[in-house]
This record gives sequence, structure tokens and C-alpha cells, in this order.
Amino acid sequence: MKTTLLATAATLMATTAMADVNIGNPMAMTGPIPDLNAPIAAAVDLAAANVNAQGGMFADGETLNIIRADSACDPTAAVDAVTKLINVNSVSAIVGPVCSGATIAQAESVSIPAGVVTLSVSASSPAISTMEDGTDLVFRAAASDAYQGVALAELAMANGMDSIAVSYANDDYNAAIAEVFVQAYEAMGGTVTANEAHEPNKASYRSEVATIGAGSDNLALFSYYGSGGITLMRNALETAAFTNFIGADGMLSDELIEQLGADNLMTSTFTTSASDDSTPSFGAWKAIADEAGVPAADPFVANGYDATFMMALAIEHAGSGDRETIAESLRAIASAPGEVILPGEWEKAKAILASGGDINYEGAAGNQDFDENGDVAGNFSKSVIVDGAWAAELIQ
Amino acid sequence: MWDAFGFEFVNFYFIPGLVLGCIYALGAIGITLTFGILRFANFAHGEIMMSGAYLTWTVMAIAGAAGLTLHPLVAMVPAAALVIILFLGTDRFFYKPFRKADTIKVVMASFGMMLIIRSAVQAIWGPNQITFVPGIARPNATLQSITGDMGMMILMPNKHIWIFAGTLVLVVALGYLLGRTRIGKAMRAVSDSPDLAHVTGINVDMVIRATWIVGGICATAAGVFLVMDTQMLETTMGFRMLLPMFAAAILGGIGKPYGAVFGGLVIGLAEELSAYPWIGDAPLLSPGYKTGVAFAIMVIMLIVRPQGLFKGRSF
Repeated sequence: MKTTLLATAATLMATTAMADVNIGNPMAMTGPIPDLNAPIAAAVDLAAANVNAQGGMFADGETLNIIRADSACDPTAAVDAVTKLINVNSVSAIVGPVCSGATIAQAESVSIPAGVVTLSVSASSPAISTMEDGTDLVFRAAASDAYQGVALAELAMANGMDSIAVSYANDDYNAAIAEVFVQAYEAMGGTVTANEAHEPNKASYRSEVATIGAGSDNLALFSYYGSGGITLMRNALETAAFTNFIGADGMLSDELIEQLGADNLMTSTFTTSASDDSTPSFGAWKAIADEAGVPAADPFVANGYDATFMMALAIEHAGSGDRETIAESLRAIASAPGEVILPGEWEKAKAILASGGDINYEGAAGNQDFDENGDVAGNFSKSVIVDGAWAAELIQ
Repeated sequence: MWDAFGFEFVNFYFIPGLVLGCIYALGAIGITLTFGILRFANFAHGEIMMSGAYLTWTVMAIAGAAGLTLHPLVAMVPAAALVIILFLGTDRFFYKPFRKADTIKVVMASFGMMLIIRSAVQAIWGPNQITFVPGIARPNATLQSITGDMGMMILMPNKHIWIFAGTLVLVVALGYLLGRTRIGKAMRAVSDSPDLAHVTGINVDMVIRATWIVGGICATAAGVFLVMDTQMLETTMGFRMLLPMFAAAILGGIGKPYGAVFGGLVIGLAEELSAYPWIGDAPLLSPGYKTGVAFAIMVIMLIVRPQGLFKGRSF
């Protein structure tokens, strides 16, 4: 009886493996940034739907399945979620972890030891560039904050802030971008009057704000909006400790407008990873996204589509869902030489790959050419309040 | 920059510390009573607080749809009733079966309840933050001008005045209940020695129900005060308060409600005051590590005086 069961189970698993390609997709469904996460998850699903609608995977048209899990933007939850995806769902690769801390933890503890490729949709901590030791398994479709921190420092200078206080949440993403920002800002001749970490998820940040508020009217705030960022801003405004605010992706959410009121955000500017909307790639993506009702220009949404589409291309290029060859294929399909593939052009790419040709995916969010660290270059935008809503403008 | 105000120690460190302390204190009352009378650490207490706040928000939203603006302290009353039903229900179906078993089983059951309640709230209200009151709260102008004339300007938004007043009323009512009423005395007796109390004819089941009711009211109040302060609802907010509340309960002495109030105020003040620049211009302790202060106090207390300041039970 036991043998029969085992045999049946083995057959079932073998059938699943033959009929489908599974990609694990840990996303920050709960935790501090569910609002930012929702459209990114929709973009991942949209990419898979495009692939399946245009002939699916391989010659026999196998289905591309996205197996979603909740990493909660938290290192511990991410390790749990990815362990399940790799060991139980036997996924071919991981497309996902949204937050830097989650990405680093799951890569170090689970996916690198298991030899599984991770392609993050939005992790931007500079620490991810150098985290691998001899392997080539961690990639990302969003630009490192090594660039965004500098862009933000330039923005602060351009806005005439010659002194600034810095407050950052004590996590991999926020601490790293704050460090880059402070270095760049001081190199440009700015004065940092205070530079303190804050513990996420506290009910009150009044003492933090009071501690750093003595020296300057300007605050560079690096935090996730949902784990203290909004509370800290509220406390800073209530106590009139600061008047001008700048910050990065983690804070850019409509939740700020809803909770603090647009009137109180007129002196705030937040940067985020953005797409250059004049490229043909972005045009192709916008058409697909608009039709599906996905907000094309929201933070990291284009990156989510790119990551999923590239992973599908890489698996198609590798010829099977085997984990070993995916990293190599990912590099092959993302950069020159080869025929340029725009978002959504699955049928075309599949035909070229089937005839043994080369392709070069040009993504919606950028050209998506991986460097030796698995990083991509990117553009940034700054958002300010116009008519009660965030209005983004590309930083040149 | 706020140096124009002067008097920043009171406004930016002491008052926020007291506000936080009041919230910790109300939460710790429920924890210490459950610990004292039912003899287990209730991990679900933070989630009960959180669900109380969500229910209050819902009551306000329903009343708002009917064209009625309710103050959170009014909307809290029906919400507290629902929380009490939730408390009694979980006790009946999840804790009572383990009453005679090892303590660790009921602790695990409460841990499970914590996850169930949080997931249920996420399923019903969604994982996104919900705005409790939009905008920012400016300091109360009357208080500011009166105290400003006296040369010590106190900046306190109305929400903090409500939190102080609410906490005071609840603590006085609790004192009356425990000191003057029959059921309160029975609760203290069960807390001191359940077997002896049973032998003297005290209805232990009744006392347990009373414990959940008192704990439920205090937990709802703590949750509502917390969202009045932060002005937003979020599903892990109760869990984040849980450990400092345990620290407060242990500091005051397990089973001692007044100890819990005192412990809550001490922990809240210690967390906020640790970042004050006592020596020189730099904060004494980087504010990023102020959570650690609560636990440092708890650990030192457990080593030096495990029965707590108010001579509670030691384990």
C-alpha cells in the first residue's frame, strides 16, 4: 500500500514537472508596504498571462505558473516562504522578494545554498551587489540605491538645503540608502546636523524627532511608510521640528496623502525608481498595462513585469525548468547581441529562440542589462504634491 | 526647528512618555490579571487590543455612514462589548479545555489564537493601513496660551488629554472594583491562592469570566488610545505592544493591577527619556535602540527582584 502511494505520488510529481513550469514569487503581501506591493504583484501575474496567452513555454506549450507566497517584507517570513517554494513546490527559480532585507535573508539562507536563481523585482540595497561569494545566483530588475542616494543628495542641494538631519529605519534597505546619501551629500558640501537610526514600528517618535530636530529644518527620512515612516512624519509636523522632507521609495505612497493630508505634504519630495516613458519599450508596456488595468508608472510595477518576463525568457532559452542553467540563460537573453524584444513580445522571442537565434530583452523599466553583480542601471523620478496627488517627474 | 518653544524636556520627552505609559499600563492590566488568576501568559492579548481598535473604527465608520460623528471614546463602548464576547468565546473554546493541563499547552493555545485573530483581521479588513483620523493634531491652543503665560508652555494635542483622562477614569474604576466590590475581592483571592479560594466557596468560573471582562475593557481602551495617538490602524500594532506590556506586568509584579499601571508608566517614560541628551548634546542612547530599554528593565528585574516592585507572584 505504502509503495503504491509513493509510486502514485512520484508519478503525480513527475507529471506536474513535465506539464508546467513553476516560478516562486514571494511578495510583501502583508507587512509595512502592502499598497506598494499590490500593483507589482498584478504586473507579475500579467507577464505570466502574456506568456501563457502567446503559446506558453517550450515547444509543447506548457503553462507558466506563478506560485505566490507572502514574504511580508520581513527577513524571517521571507526565509519561511522561500524554503517552502523551493522544497515543497520545487520551483525552477524565484522572482520576487520586494524588500532588501527579505531578499538578502532568503538568498543567504535558502536560495543560494539550494542553487536557485533569485531575480528581485525591487530590492535596491547596495549590499545586494556584493553579497555573493563565487556564485552567480542573485539578480535584480531594479537599480541599486548606490545611485538613488546620490540622486537624492543632488536633489537636496538643488532645493537649497545646505544643512539636513537624517533619520533612517534600522533595516538593510533604509540604513544602506541613508549611508550613501550622507556620503554623497557631505561630498557636495552639505552639512549633516544629525544622523540617527530609528527603530521601526514604534507608537511614538516624538523623542527621536526632538533629539534630531535642534539643528535643521530639513529632514531626510529613510523609512517604510507602513512601519513608522508616517508616524515619524506626523510627530515631526505636530511638534514643528521639521518643515521640509525628502526621502526615497519606501515613503512614496498614497497612504501619506490619506493619513497626513495633502496640505501637510506640500514641502515633501520623495524619489523612486522610475521608467523613462519615452522609450519604445515603455510604450509597449504601457499599452499592455493599460489594457489590463495595471498602473504602468507606479513604483517598481514595470520592474515586476520585466523580472517575470525575463525569467520566462531565460527558462525558455535554457530549454527546461532545471535550476542549473537559468543564471547563464538570464544573462544571455537580457543583453546584446540579439534581436531586441520588447515587453509582451513572447511569440516573437519564442520563435527566435526555437530557431537558435539570440535575443536582447529591453525592459519597460530600463534596458535590463545585468552587470557582473547581477545589477541593472535605472532612472529615478521625484514626486511632489500637485493638486492633492503625487506627481512624478523624471530626474535627468 | 523647535528651540523657540523652550521647555522641550516636558513637551517632547515627558508627555510622550506618559502617553505611551498609559497605553502600556492599560494593556498590562489585562496581562497581569490573566497571568495572576488564570496562570498563563496570554500572547493573544496584543491582538485583542488590535481587534478592539478595529471594531471601534468600524463602529465609527457605520455611525459616520448614518451621518453621526462619534468620538472614539463613545464608539469604544459597543466595541468593548464585542471584545468581551470574543474574550469569553476564546476562553470557552480554546483555553478552558486546557485548564487542568500543563501551563505550556494553554500558552501555546494563546499563541495560536494570536495568529488566528491577526489573520482574521487581515482577511476582514485587509493588510493595508487604515486611517483612523486624517491630518495632524495641533497642540491644544487654550492650554498652550494659559501655560505659555505662566512661562512654561505645554504643547499637548487634544488626543493626549483624552488619553490621560480615559486612563485615569479606568484606573480609578478598577481600583473601586477590586477594593470595594465582592467580585473584585474574589478576584484578588483567586489570584493569591486559587485552591484556598475554591475551598472558601468562591465561584472560580465566575471570577474567570470577570477577569476576561475587565481585561477586555482595558485591552479595548489600550488599543483605542494607541490608534488615537498614532491615528492609524495596522494589523501588527498589538503584537508590537505585547512585549513592552509584558515587561510592564513583570516590573509591577505579576497579578498586581496597580503594579501593572506603575510598570507601564515606568516603561513608557524610560523608553522616551533614554533618548534625552542628559549628558552633553548627544542623546544618551540612540533612539534606534529605545525598545531595548524596556527589555533591559525586564531582565534586570527578573534577576534582582523576580516578584516585581509590588510583590507579585514569582515563577
